[in-house]
Amino acid sequence: MESAQGRIKSSKRRTIVRSVLGLGLALACVSAVKREDFKTCSQSGFCARNRAYADIAKETPQWVSPFQLNPSSLRLHKGVLTGDLINVQEDKQPSDKPALAFELHLLDTDAARVRINERNPIHPRYDGVQDTVLIKPYGHATEESYQKLGKDENGILTIQYGAQSQNTVRISSAPFKIEFLVNGVPTVILNDEGLLRFERLRNKEEPKVEEEEGEKQGEEASSDPLVEQKPGGNEIEIAIEKSDLEKKLEENLWEERFKEFTDSKPRGPESFGMDITFSGINHVYGIPEHASSLSLKATRGPDAPYTEPYRLYNLDVFEYEGDNPMALYGSVPFMLGHSKNSTAAVFWMNAAETWIDVEKSPEDKTGGLLSWIKSKKAVQPAATKTHWISEAGVLDLFVFLGPTHRDIFRQYASLVGTTALPQAFSIAYHQCRWNYNNQQDVAEVDAGFDEHDIPYDVLWLDIEHTNGKRYFTWDEAKFPNPTEMQESLSAKGRKMVTIIDPHIKKDGDYHVSKEGAELDVYIKNKDGSSDFDGWCWPGSSQWIDFYNPKARDWWASQFSYDKYIGSTKSLFTWNDMNEPSVFSGPEITIPKDVIHYGNVEHRNVHNLYGTMFHSATAQGLTHRNETNQRPFVLSRAFFAGTQRFGAIWTGDNVASWEHLELASPMLLTIGLSGIPFSGADVGGFFGNPDAELLTRWYQAGIYYPFFRAHAHLDSKRREPWLFGEPYTTQIREAIRTRYTLLPFWYTLFQEASVEGTPIIRPMFTVFPEDEAVFGMDDQYMVGDAILVKPVVKSAVIRSNVYFAGKEKWFDIKDYSVEQGPGFKDIESPADKIPVYQRAGTIVPKRERPRRSSKAMENDPFTLVIALDSVGEASGRLYLDDGESFNYEKGDFILTEFKVSKGVLSSRKVKSTTATSVESSFAEKAGGLRIERLVILGATVPLKKVTVGDRTLQASCSQVGGSYVCTIKEPQVTIGKDFDLSFA
Amino acid sequence: MRITCIPIVITLALSLVQANVTVDKLPRGVAPSRSKIYSPDTKGQWACLDGSKTIPFTAINDDYCDCPDGSDEPGTSACGTGYFYCSNIGHTPAYIKTSRLNDGVCDPECCDGSDEFDGQTRCSNICEQVGTESRKEREKLEKTHKEGNRIRKEYAVFGQSSKKRLQEQLEKLQAVSSSVNQAAADTKSTLDAANAKLKEHLESTKLEREAARELQLAPLIEQQNQRLDHATKIKSLFRTALNDLKENQNKNFHDMAVKATISGYDEYLEELKKQEEEENNSNKDSQEEKEKVRSALERMHTAQDATYDAKKDIGLMFQLLKEMKEKYNTEYNDDAVLKAIKVLDEFAPTWEHSSNDFIGEEFIDIPDEDAGEKKEEAKPEDKGAFGEVYNRIQKGASKVGLGFLFKGSQVSKSEVEIAQEAYNKASEEERKSEEEIQKLEKKVKTDYGPDEAFAKLVDQCVEFKEIEYTYSVCLFGEAKQKSHSDTSLGTFSSWVGDNYDTQLYTGGARCWNGPERSVKVMMTCGTENKILAVSEPSKCEYLYKMETPAVCYDLSENAKNDSNSNAPHVVVYPGEKKHDEL
Repeated sequence: MESAQGRIKSSKRRTIVRSVLGLGLALACVSAVKREDFKTCSQSGFCARNRAYADIAKETPQWVSPFQLNPSSLRLHKGVLTGDLINVQEDKQPSDKPALAFELHLLDTDAARVRINERNPIHPRYDGVQDTVLIKPYGHATEESYQKLGKDENGILTIQYGAQSQNTVRISSAPFKIEFLVNGVPTVILNDEGLLRFERLRNKEEPKVEEEEGEKQGEEASSDPLVEQKPGGNEIEIAIEKSDLEKKLEENLWEERFKEFTDSKPRGPESFGMDITFSGINHVYGIPEHASSLSLKATRGPDAPYTEPYRLYNLDVFEYEGDNPMALYGSVPFMLGHSKNSTAAVFWMNAAETWIDVEKSPEDKTGGLLSWIKSKKAVQPAATKTHWISEAGVLDLFVFLGPTHRDIFRQYASLVGTTALPQAFSIAYHQCRWNYNNQQDVAEVDAGFDEHDIPYDVLWLDIEHTNGKRYFTWDEAKFPNPTEMQESLSAKGRKMVTIIDPHIKKDGDYHVSKEGAELDVYIKNKDGSSDFDGWCWPGSSQWIDFYNPKARDWWASQFSYDKYIGSTKSLFTWNDMNEPSVFSGPEITIPKDVIHYGNVEHRNVHNLYGTMFHSATAQGLTHRNETNQRPFVLSRAFFAGTQRFGAIWTGDNVASWEHLELASPMLLTIGLSGIPFSGADVGGFFGNPDAELLTRWYQAGIYYPFFRAHAHLDSKRREPWLFGEPYTTQIREAIRTRYTLLPFWYTLFQEASVEGTPIIRPMFTVFPEDEAVFGMDDQYMVGDAILVKPVVKSAVIRSNVYFAGKEKWFDIKDYSVEQGPGFKDIESPADKIPVYQRAGTIVPKRERPRRSSKAMENDPFTLVIALDSVGEASGRLYLDDGESFNYEKGDFILTEFKVSKGVLSSRKVKSTTATSVESSFAEKAGGLRIERLVILGATVPLKKVTVGDRTLQASCSQVGGSYVCTIKEPQVTIGKDFDLSFA
Repeated sequence: MRITCIPIVITLALSLVQANVTVDKLPRGVAPSRSKIYSPDTKGQWACLDGSKTIPFTAINDDYCDCPDGSDEPGTSACGTGYFYCSNIGHTPAYIKTSRLNDGVCDPECCDGSDEFDGQTRCSNICEQVGTESRKEREKLEKTHKEGNRIRKEYAVFGQSSKKRLQEQLEKLQAVSSSVNQAAADTKSTLDAANAKLKEHLESTKLEREAARELQLAPLIEQQNQRLDHATKIKSLFRTALNDLKENQNKNFHDMAVKATISGYDEYLEELKKQEEEENNSNKDSQEEKEKVRSALERMHTAQDATYDAKKDIGLMFQLLKEMKEKYNTEYNDDAVLKAIKVLDEFAPTWEHSSNDFIGEEFIDIPDEDAGEKKEEAKPEDKGAFGEVYNRIQKGASKVGLGFLFKGSQVSKSEVEIAQEAYNKASEEERKSEEEIQKLEKKVKTDYGPDEAFAKLVDQCVEFKEIEYTYSVCLFGEAKQKSHSDTSLGTFSSWVGDNYDTQLYTGGARCWNGPERSVKVMMTCGTENKILAVSEPSKCEYLYKMETPAVCYDLSENAKNDSNSNAPHVVVYPGEKKHDEL
């Protein structure tokens, strides 16, 4: 040592400069998101203008919205109320050509829709979001289902609607305001704060000679006649009248700059905003995607934790930060408010850039609301005021009044669709890495799982598998025989996923690039004729315009086996970078003024682009060579409706405890916004997790609906067995637990596909009256049965778990018992996190360890029955072939289990679509048996168990204050109804 | 291959039980050698192999898991944690996990297809074919192994004799080393004495000489310091540019060229920090030295050193920016990158990159005309230097009229010279001897395996050509990746594990955004030394698979018997009690 150091020092003067190529680094990764690459509200012209308007309203005593409905124009016909909306500041005289058209639709699902559009704009405002987001034209409420209650003395029009006539809408004309009430209690109020603002399309006026700010082009300024600019005099008075805030209303109307980028805005300003008050409601949720808490934080008001509004603008954000309202990869403008007494939600159907301010109204400052509240004593005197601001399009808002969460999820899903029932394999474990290097590597990883007896279903290949980032191709040196590779995986019931991104390398020799050019399906520059060209992984690239129907069909056709050479039935797809990510563009995305099919400016549809891509890919997989196979496509970008096309994940997270913690609130938020099939990369994408973090992440990740491990190119290998013992055993145990619960998960997915329910659920949706859980996002429910509290800190071996409700909870491993309600410190040693089954539920499992989910399909079931305090429990099991669309033809098994008064009854639910297919799955799978019943919470050991005339043995042991009893081989199947009694 | 239909499992399970009890004493999935373990006691009961539970013998293979260790279901998947024995008649019997039974996969381990018996998946019995192939394969392997083992034995003989030889050499050297050391020490003291005399003489004339030297060097020092100032300014300009780049570059672009430059810069900073720490440490000891008045020559050297260092730093940063400029993606328009390139471009015309110097700036030679101290004391390392210097001093001194200093010198030139020569010779001997001893010690200490066979591989180099790169390793030396230039992947560091079949090479060139490169060399038996495959499982962590006779170990008697009888090792359940039969 010493001599070496000595040598270095003595020869210092003579050292030769080391080759730079030989230099590396020992970089402690401290890099993180570069905030200044992304706009703040004040850097986004329309956001700044609308926020300034809100400031003016706030600062103006007795602020009154200038918007008024012309009472004489109101018409109610077949569930639709229409009328003219006037801005008394702009429309100086009540004109016969009012600028804005107002519509209120009452829907057959008890939801309501409010639309405000320009009546005769100089060019039509974009109104096409509904065409791709709404699944079908909805039905309006029948004339019998609502009742116009007439106008009161203040000119307020009241209409009662809803299946139980539970809902009321009150429309005030001057100022314009709409209040939605549930059972007489005001819940959602529009324009209560008077922040409605609507920028009408206009022609750019030639710049009048006004005071130059000094920064404008010197030449023009000097050539302008200065005569009119009289120093002093009248102008000054006018100038004084315009406050700073008022000036802000006129800024960045026609062009705006951000860093080196200019947005040309050829149509000028066309934004709009409105406030939506959730009355009596203190917690609002939703509007993903943000790296933030489940219960949204205030962005306005004196003690607001955030100063920026929540932003919805799909962006590729490198190493995003936690606790932040910055925009991320996806957007769903859906917000749900909840209090002990009411639940309501809104869907702001707009795909342009959108910002949302949230302000919490403290109890003593309800102001205008008080008048409403006085008459209803039970209402909580609090409110959450939200301010929604969109850059373009029309104001199109849906209001859902429940009255329960389940109603809201159903109402919302009836418009935008439920999650597609996924292939069974896709809810099992996925192994991903950027990159598995070659076929040999793939074979070794695959063998590694078998060798270490860890189940997995899917192996993923990232961008390096392609020939120079040309999607649909293979690097032939590394993957000389992709078909053989996939077949060797599928022989063990396993699948493969390859990545396909929407940027197409500009290369005349690349078939996709060439065909795209020939068919003219690329996004165009703002001139509308030349193709947009930007930079992404492959270098200079073009982006497919998925708004072009021809492009969608052509894209879908690329997935047929004869087009995608080297693809097989067991190959599925990963859509990344679809915000879209453009390395050379403003905010790492495509400029807003590029042009889509039909001369639509990108700014109108930005947040939907990724979903259009996702949808076209899913279409491609569904129709490739008519396999009758369900598609599986993972996407990074998302929007309302994405659930119909596949799964999403939370993008490029970091191998840190903070990001492990973030995953729960993010996934809960995305789930309740209609996209339940979601996950966060287990282990964290960037960086190297240590063994403890990785193990804890697996223990948490098995409770993500989409369960995938992924790692960055620069990170060390971290396949589950690489950290050695005890970690390999702990990770194996976690993954196996996921596999045992697959029947339960699959049943939840089926429920979600019908009802629109989330799969992992915030505590408040299961315990809606327990205020202690309204802000809780560090523990959650899987379905209504299983409580999960991930460990998200290093060296934590005790966790403070909240046991809600008055019933018992059973540890899913050792069946130990906890009694709700209240917090309790629970042991969470390295090999487990707290996971509990709620009393009153029945969870179906398959307990035999297997190497893949496919290998489990003939296995028998175990039912874990957790009795509640009156000895009851219920649950269900859904099963189909896991891969085809035959379930749509009724080929499935749905069995409901119920325990009451000492009898377990199993009843097969008849399928409503009873056109059964020949030699159906259901017929055969009906013979699958239930090999084991585990009964938890019995007050006495079971003595006599009978099914029909057979008597069975139960073996019981005491755990805590109750008994755990196991019944071996009851000799019953899932396809045939039975009653099993025990005493 | 796979026929999917769902069984009526109950009846199947029942028939299984019957079959086991009545037809065949041996439960399905149990090796004949363990038949006694799988038999009921007198009451028809049976104890789980971990002893945790007693169950009716009829519960064995009843497709329900009773035993916590899974031992009651060797022939069904009910427990999934047990082991299933395939007899594989015609080939070698094997065990598989019971989790692989009836899972729709014909496991290659069970060539008789006995793992899939529920009728859902038909697996044909391919043991004849597999057996024939595997026997052929095994014969081939055995042949290879035999030949490899023969070579290995030669290796061992070579290794042992070479070790012995080395040992002897070492001992010999060690034996004579003390006399060599003594000789060096003796000549050293003679030299010291001569030097002391000379020094005394020089000391007496020191002030005059220094004054002259000061006069002579002052303008040069001035000039050198100006250059130093300039270089320092440029250096800080580059530092600022790179700091800005690091701070402000847009990471979203993933521009590899920019990343590489920043990585290189970070490495430079790291190195700088290390050096500073080192200097701080060494400076602590030499406070006195600092306070000493420094001679003109010392100051000149300091300025030259500092200038050299600054230029070296500039050169490095220049190179970093230059590489970025050549490779960065111009489409991104990253302000930070453009700014850094601007700095580079503005500076480039004044810089000669190949010589790492400012264009036209020639090295300032220090004139030696003046008589001076140059070296007041010959250091042992400067072999023979003193005599030469002394000569030059004397020559120079007389040239500029300072010859008086040497007039009447009491120190005879030849006295020092002779002492020096003697010392040089002795110390060279000593150095050589020490070097040789060290080398031998290292070789003797290196672990060449239990019987020294790996010694034969020392410095043997093998290569593997891939599409892009050629990978090489000189065993017990260095591993490299070669394309247009060589990248070190590491030097031999240690064996992995106790089996003498895996080596680790570490400390290779550092990766961008990654660790120092390293190689794991995994060896299997073969008749020649060659690399079979190279992979990079993790970034910059390479894996070589190579063949070598050095790992063709003798087969143990047991293993031989096993391979002859084709019997697998009997699987024993964890926690299984000792049975007399075993």
